[in-house]
Amino acid sequence: MNAQAGIEVREISYAQAIREAMDIALSEDERVILMGEDIGVYGGAFQVTGDLVDKYGTDRVMDTPISELGGAGVAVGAAMTGLRPIFEFQFSDFATLAMEQIVNQAAKVRYMLGGAVSVPLVMRFPAGSGTGAAAQHSQSLEAWLGHVPGLKVVQPATPEDAKGLLLAALDDPDPVMIFEHKLLYKMKGQVPSGRYTTPIGKAAVRREGGHVTIVATAIMVHKALDAAKALEDEGIEAEVIDLRTIRPLDGDTVLASVRKTGKLLCVYEAVKTLGIGAEVSAMVAESDAFDFLDAPIVRLGGAESPIPYNPELEKAVVPQVPDIIEAARGLAEGRT
Amino acid sequence: MPTEIIMPKVDMDMETGKIAAWHVEEGARVAEGEPIFDIETDKAAMEVEAPANGTLHHLVPEGAEVPIGAPVGWLYAEGEEVGEPPVRKTQGPERAKEPSKSEPKTETPTPAPVTSTAEVAEEKPRATPKARKLARDNGIDLATLNGSGPRGRIQAADVAVLDDRQHAAPVPPAFNNEAGPLSVIRSRGGTGTPIVLIHGFANEAAAWSPIESHLSRRPLIRIELPCHGKSPKRRLSGFPELVSDVRRAFDDLGLEAAHLVGHSLGGAVALAIADTRGNRVDGLTLIAPAGLGPDINGAVIDGIGRATRAEGLGPWLRQLVADDTIITDRYVRAAMMSRKDPDLRAAQMAMADVLFPDGTQAFDLRPAIGRLAMPARIVWGKRDAIIDWRHALGAPGHIALHLFDGLGHLPHLESPDAIGQLIAATL
Repeated sequence: MNAQAGIEVREISYAQAIREAMDIALSEDERVILMGEDIGVYGGAFQVTGDLVDKYGTDRVMDTPISELGGAGVAVGAAMTGLRPIFEFQFSDFATLAMEQIVNQAAKVRYMLGGAVSVPLVMRFPAGSGTGAAAQHSQSLEAWLGHVPGLKVVQPATPEDAKGLLLAALDDPDPVMIFEHKLLYKMKGQVPSGRYTTPIGKAAVRREGGHVTIVATAIMVHKALDAAKALEDEGIEAEVIDLRTIRPLDGDTVLASVRKTGKLLCVYEAVKTLGIGAEVSAMVAESDAFDFLDAPIVRLGGAESPIPYNPELEKAVVPQVPDIIEAARGLAEGRT
Repeated sequence: MPTEIIMPKVDMDMETGKIAAWHVEEGARVAEGEPIFDIETDKAAMEVEAPANGTLHHLVPEGAEVPIGAPVGWLYAEGEEVGEPPVRKTQGPERAKEPSKSEPKTETPTPAPVTSTAEVAEEKPRATPKARKLARDNGIDLATLNGSGPRGRIQAADVAVLDDRQHAAPVPPAFNNEAGPLSVIRSRGGTGTPIVLIHGFANEAAAWSPIESHLSRRPLIRIELPCHGKSPKRRLSGFPELVSDVRRAFDDLGLEAAHLVGHSLGGAVALAIADTRGNRVDGLTLIAPAGLGPDINGAVIDGIGRATRAEGLGPWLRQLVADDTIITDRYVRAAMMSRKDPDLRAAQMAMADVLFPDGTQAFDLRPAIGRLAMPARIVWGKRDAIIDWRHALGAPGHIALHLFDGLGHLPHLESPDAIGQLIAATL
């Protein structure tokens, strides 16, 4: 974080922190516009844009028609021709409708045109389960986009990072995809006022410990921290790493931790198979940190299932704190 | 594939373990965590729990000596067909030795699982990358090691064990001498004369937590002995240096008056401080104190000091109490994690070598207790297996004795209400 002098740190919510970042960007840079379904008068599906339309008008805070493909296409074109659009999806699940624009256009135009243009586009995706929104409104699809060269993909876990990563994304000349876990929107945290950026591609060690490394993303960072606190009573010191960016991955931070602890647990909400945990595990296995592993790597991820509507089942298909405690304990004690 | 039940390593020096008794019969269904057999080593006996749910087959007979890590039986899940004993795919320790003829044979008809040497020759030892690297860097052949991990996997700790034995046998444990004052932990509340608490050997300030609620109307100050808790680790020349270390911490508190409470080795230290700071100690409680007799249970001190895993620590900790059900697995795990730092263990073992050589107490405070002028009492459990409670009987008549029938060496852990109220009542 590189905050300016004279900052004030307040406790605000994750959603407020995002709105503040957009407010700063809109006021500082005329090229910045917001686009998305119901982000104007309605304030956004999760009330993240709020009343920004009153302050900046409908030319800069634009409601788009109910067509993710169309809206995303306009946003890509706007970015190519000099604007700095921030495009909000109502639910990250609807990224599937806009894949052509994200994957084939935004990610590839700079390459296809020999570097003559770039696509400085920011897309925001409310993601994850836990709101009772069922199978088509609860997925964690970040790894889909993380598979595409040309995109950067971030998952802020704290209000401070939600603001800092959004401002960093706007500074980036290429498309940046921001996955915001819906259950985090109301979470409060300390956030500096004014402009600052959180570096893309840099993980954060949220808690230090010598017995086991827990690499987590988004809301799982908080579950991992709860688990680490419970394990502390047993004398097990878990190191919790918040990846923050899943593309490009911060190998240095993860590998340094694994060299120290020799034990790695990856925790993420997305479906376990072919997910970010596989990438982190493989990265460790391919690196010199392999020689420091003293147990098999363990992944905790979502079940092979659509997200159920039943609230108990909805909890059961994604990792919870007791699952993390058990897995980390098994690793720390050499029983895994 | 059925789950194998292996002979666990419960002690650092253990090469083999003897099946003392099976609690369940061949073919019985057991649940994960259910105690299924007892093992005996030359130092301890302990129960071993089922690693999974299933039906028991191919049990090694009672009385058999089994190498660490070798299977003693197999657990079949529901629906798994029970045939010949499975061939073990891991590094193959020798097959279990049959019990000697003089020992009673069981009726178990199934032979012990035999490891096929032909297959083993093709199999590499199962080991973690870290263990392999350690072995490689130290020129150790993995095939010579027994793995303590799941399915006999060799983990870093298993390599380190051998490494210690090869290189460090007669050399005193190595650790860096650290400077600085002892760790002092104060409670927030309380008024009146403070209570200064000094814990025992291989313990730390947290040892007092069971009785703290009874004492909390007074300010509580816990001093941690050198080489314990968060205090610096130093090589002590003997008991006088230990006392002068703790006395300096006591003097630095700047108290005009204090009630001293000490347990075991901390009791001896408290007594020595009371002897030399009589004008500032207006009450003394000694719980199972050292220093009042010649002998002490050196095996337990040694066992606790050497244990590197919860499985090796548990049997020793259970000897500290009369009712060993209070030493739960969770308690043992927490205790082992607090002793995870090898430097801390090395420092404590060096301290034990100086203070308790060969099961004796290298210091004698009987003259000191005769000189005490302040009100003082001794609290002891009559089932103390570490220091004989009869050492209390040598104390002069003006010292109060509180002897508890059903308690061991940790009365304040086993009966916190009784001990806490006893101390609180006379404050």
